[in-house]
Amino acid sequence: MKEKVGQVTAEERSEIQQLFERRNGLNELAKILTPENDALYQKLVKDMGETGTKFQNWWDNMAKKYNWKSTPNGHWEINFETCEIFLSE
Amino acid sequence: MQKVRKNDNAWQSGRAKNITFIVTKDCQLACKYCYLVGKNVKERMSWETAKAFIDYVLSHENEFREESVVWDFIGGEPFLEIELIDKICDYLKLRMFELNHHWFNSYRFSFSTNGINYHTPEVQNFIQKNREHLSIGITIDGTEKKHDLNRVWKQATPNANGITQPSERGSYKDVVKNIPLWLSQFPDAGTKVTISSADIPYITESVLHLYSLGIHQVNINVVFEDVWQEGDDKRFEEQLMQLADAIIDGGWYQDYACSFFSEHIGKPLDPELDNQNWCGAGRMLSVDAAGNLYPCTRFAQYSLRSKKALVIGNIHDGINQNLLRPFLTLDRTTQSPQKCLDCEVASGCAWCQGENYDAAQTNTIYERSTAICLMHKARVRANNYYWNKLYRKLELEGRREEYEANKRDVKPEIC
Amino acid sequence: MMQYLVILLDDTSVSYCHADNPYKERRLINLDDLRAGIRYAMTENLMIQFVYPDYALPKEYLDVIDTIDHHDIVPYPLKGDVVVIENGELRVENLADAVVVVRLKKAELFDSGEAIAATLPKVQRLNVVVTDLETFTDEDLKRYNTLLDQWAAVLNAEYLHGRTPQLNLLTDRMMLTKPNHCNAGVENITLAPDGRFYICPDFYYSQAEPVGDLQSGPAIPNQQLLRLDHTPLCRHCDAYHCRRCVWMNRQTTLEVNTPSHEQCIVAHTERNAARRLLESIRKEATFMPEVEIKEIDYLDPFDVRKEW
Repeated sequence: MKEKVGQVTAEERSEIQQLFERRNGLNELAKILTPENDALYQKLVKDMGETGTKFQNWWDNMAKKYNWKSTPNGHWEINFETCEIFLSE
Repeated sequence: MQKVRKNDNAWQSGRAKNITFIVTKDCQLACKYCYLVGKNVKERMSWETAKAFIDYVLSHENEFREESVVWDFIGGEPFLEIELIDKICDYLKLRMFELNHHWFNSYRFSFSTNGINYHTPEVQNFIQKNREHLSIGITIDGTEKKHDLNRVWKQATPNANGITQPSERGSYKDVVKNIPLWLSQFPDAGTKVTISSADIPYITESVLHLYSLGIHQVNINVVFEDVWQEGDDKRFEEQLMQLADAIIDGGWYQDYACSFFSEHIGKPLDPELDNQNWCGAGRMLSVDAAGNLYPCTRFAQYSLRSKKALVIGNIHDGINQNLLRPFLTLDRTTQSPQKCLDCEVASGCAWCQGENYDAAQTNTIYERSTAICLMHKARVRANNYYWNKLYRKLELEGRREEYEANKRDVKPEIC
Repeated sequence: MMQYLVILLDDTSVSYCHADNPYKERRLINLDDLRAGIRYAMTENLMIQFVYPDYALPKEYLDVIDTIDHHDIVPYPLKGDVVVIENGELRVENLADAVVVVRLKKAELFDSGEAIAATLPKVQRLNVVVTDLETFTDEDLKRYNTLLDQWAAVLNAEYLHGRTPQLNLLTDRMMLTKPNHCNAGVENITLAPDGRFYICPDFYYSQAEPVGDLQSGPAIPNQQLLRLDHTPLCRHCDAYHCRRCVWMNRQTTLEVNTPSHEQCIVAHTERNAARRLLESIRKEATFMPEVEIKEIDYLDPFDVRKEW
């Protein structure tokens, strides 16, 4: 079940979309990058940490800013095309 | 609370640079309508060429300012070169990250495949590795009869010039077996169907067949080449009206889409406000096995019947920007004959810059081919019928508003 | 509408425009073709421009030429309405009444700044044609800009003294309120020594396809692409003096209706120099009040195409 609970601006959408894409990119890079390539591996590990934090911060900040409805077993989703936020269970 | 996103279907439409590797000019099939007239087994891209191209593109970030990139792989049949493709994609990921290239935040790997090798371990391993960045379309033309009419295996031996020749053996069974696996991995994926003169009688049954296979999005178009026979437009219109009846009466319209029917087509176009070029040639970039660069794959020699390849550079010297200027300044009115400018149903009437170039009386991309004129008009009439019938039905059932709010929006696809 | 017929009298006729004439062996146009060309011009109301080789024509040719009102384009030192000087040596003695065309390469141009400046007061009109325009770099452009200002200073002094020598690179734009392009294939067409029509002499010299013969007349495929209204870049442009050379377009961009970056930046450098010259003259006198050349911040209209 899905319920629309809010909307973000286009700029805010672009921010999370970029972080989402970067996170996916880093995850798939991690599948092929080995510790032997030390410099790049360290860069990847650092980036994964930073991107994960930024990703989480975005949701925390937006939830606070817009005061979206939440439920104990639900999660929020964003539609990148419409900037709508949905609560899914 | 876990947070995920909703999948976006039309990924970065219009904001992405489309960069195509022509990894091979070979294919297991020799489809009778294929625009690639020079397919052969000899021209396979080497890793050195692919790497040099990638190095060129990624080191010229200022020349490629698009927000996103679609790394596209085409053939022939691209999955014949899965080993090379895997190496290319790994290198792309590593280099984009290493160079802090802005495309690392926004890229896709895209494939149009005949689907024959889809199930192989090599292809499946590749899919698992790159799952979040893949867009894969399998081409299946409809029913077995319709599919096998054109999509046939090639003969074992090419002709004296090394060009592949069609056999009598259809490929439907070899493709359809992979559709469930494909749809399980890409449930929103669509298929591309191409219609030429001989296919017209099979349109309705083919689209319904694809729906029944679980394919929700059928992107279908008539070929741009001048292959049409007298009366084809009438036969086409009748088929589309049958299809309209079947989609509406069968209730398919709620969850399935066919690109023939779109509310955006069949309107007059303003010469100033609607003057943009339809085709993306020039905003795209293709590279072939020889390291030559093209504004679109359709300008490579193997795609052209009567003109010389339009090469805009190579991997060593880069792009000759002067050769891109005609593509980037091309607009609708300049290339269109007066009958197109005056046309009352112009919107949605597509063209292919490569076919325009190939069919033009001089070596120009500025002469629009109008071979599909009657077919477009037939489509518009059937399209009008479809929407009039559908909306009347929805109104009588009191469900129009509900439909409007949830409908799949099929916009004309820009090449 | 067609207005001019250019007739190349010989394969070695002088080139007066961008393309070099590669032909070294003399081949006169067939006398019957010459007569037929003249007849065609008469029936179509076209003014003829004959283009001469560097040797004297047989009398029977001169007699035929004399049957029609025309202009002569000749290589120096022959006498004609337009005299073409090549190889960078600027000799304009006794040419006060002629239009003088100087064809030179970029390197020669940069060496000829003083010579051209000294020539300007001695001629009625000087057309400078740079034959390797496609090689201009940003650095070249700076040097070119300096040269244009140097010549503008000479012209400024001349105009303020009531003399009005013309230099195509500067004074044309200063006097134009609408485009004045070459319009090859639209307002003029060329009959070559092989008896066939070409869009312009440069198309013949570069061995392009002919666009008709004397039996059927010219028939230019996709002729609309030669017209200004079919040039997405040029139809918005106010470098009105630019030749909008369709031959150079085809050489550099493969399309007759699309100019190269180099053709655009050179034309705009000239346009801007003309703007400065016009301002300078107007400080002292009223001059061409109907002409307005706006200040712009680009040299290549391609860079601002999204603003149209």
